[in-house]
Amino acid sequence: MMAGAEKIVEADNSEAIITRIEHKSRKIESLLKQNKPVEALKTALEGSPPVTRDERCKSANWIVVHRALMAIKNVEGMFSSLDPEYYDILMKYLYRGLSTGDRPTCDQCLRVHEKLTERAGLGCILRSLADTVNTV
Amino acid sequence: MANPLKLYLTCIRNTLEAAMCLQNFPCQEVERHNKPEVELKTSPELLLNPVLICRNEAEKCLIETSINSLRISLKVKQADELENILAKKFLRFLSMRAEAFQVLRRKPVQGYDISFLITNYHCEEMQKQKLIDFIVQFMEDIDKEISELKMSVSTRGRLVASEFLKQFL
Repeated sequence: MMAGAEKIVEADNSEAIITRIEHKSRKIESLLKQNKPVEALKTALEGSPPVTRDERCKSANWIVVHRALMAIKNVEGMFSSLDPEYYDILMKYLYRGLSTGDRPTCDQCLRVHEKLTERAGLGCILRSLADTVNTV
Repeated sequence: MANPLKLYLTCIRNTLEAAMCLQNFPCQEVERHNKPEVELKTSPELLLNPVLICRNEAEKCLIETSINSLRISLKVKQADELENILAKKFLRFLSMRAEAFQVLRRKPVQGYDISFLITNYHCEEMQKQKLIDFIVQFMEDIDKEISELKMSVSTRGRLVASEFLKQFL
C-alpha cells in the first residue's frame, strides 16, 4: 500500500514539476528577449535539480538550462554576476552538456567549464562527481 | 583548431585532478582480496558518477572513478577509413605492450579505442601530477602520430604506384 501511495505522489510531483519547468521556460524566453542571458541562466538553475527520479522532468529541466546556457556570449562577464551558490549545480549541468556530443553545446560547455573551474576550484568538480543522489 | 583542443584537454586535466583521489580499499566481499572497484562495480557506494567529456561527435573521453581505482577510456578522431585502420593497429600495438606502460589496460572498454586503469598503488608509487601529465600528453601525441603515419602511408603508396606505372610508359 505504501509503495502505491508513493507512486501516486511521484506522478503528481512529476506533473507539478513539468508545469513549473514550463513556467520557467516562458520566463527565460522573455528574459532572453530583453537581452539578459545571465538572469535567464539564474532562473533556469533555480529549483534544480528537480527532486524526482522521473527522467522526463530531468530532461525537461536540462532543455531549459541548455537554452539559457547557449545564449551566453560573454563567459567572463557571466561569472562576475553569478552567485557562488549556483556553481555546483551549473557544474553538474556542464557535465551533462559535455556528454551530449553535440559540437556547439560541447564548445560552449568546455569554455564555461574552464572558467568555472578557475572560479570554483576542484572541489566543485568533485562534488558533482560524488553526488549520486541529486543527479541531473 | 588548436583552441578547442586546448579547452578539451584542460577540462580533462581538471576533471582528472579532482577525480584522482584514490586510497587503498580491500575487497568487501572476499577477504584478503584487493580488487580495482571500478572494474567490478559490485558495490554502488564505492563508485562515483561516470563523466563523459565529448569534444565533438567523433572524439570523447569517459572517466569512471571509484574509491581505489580510476578508468579513463578514449575515443580518438578517425576521419576516414585509412585513419580508422591506422588508429586501430597503432593502439592495439600499444595495448599489447600494456605491461611496459603500467597504467594501460590490455583491452579498451567497449565503444572506445584505448583505456587506462590507474589504481591507488600507481598513485602511491608515482606522482599524481605526473600521471595526469602523461595522460594529457598521450592524448596530444596520439593525434600527431596518426597523422604522421597516414602521411607516410600515402607517400609510400604514391612512390610505389609511380614506380610501378613507369613500366607502362
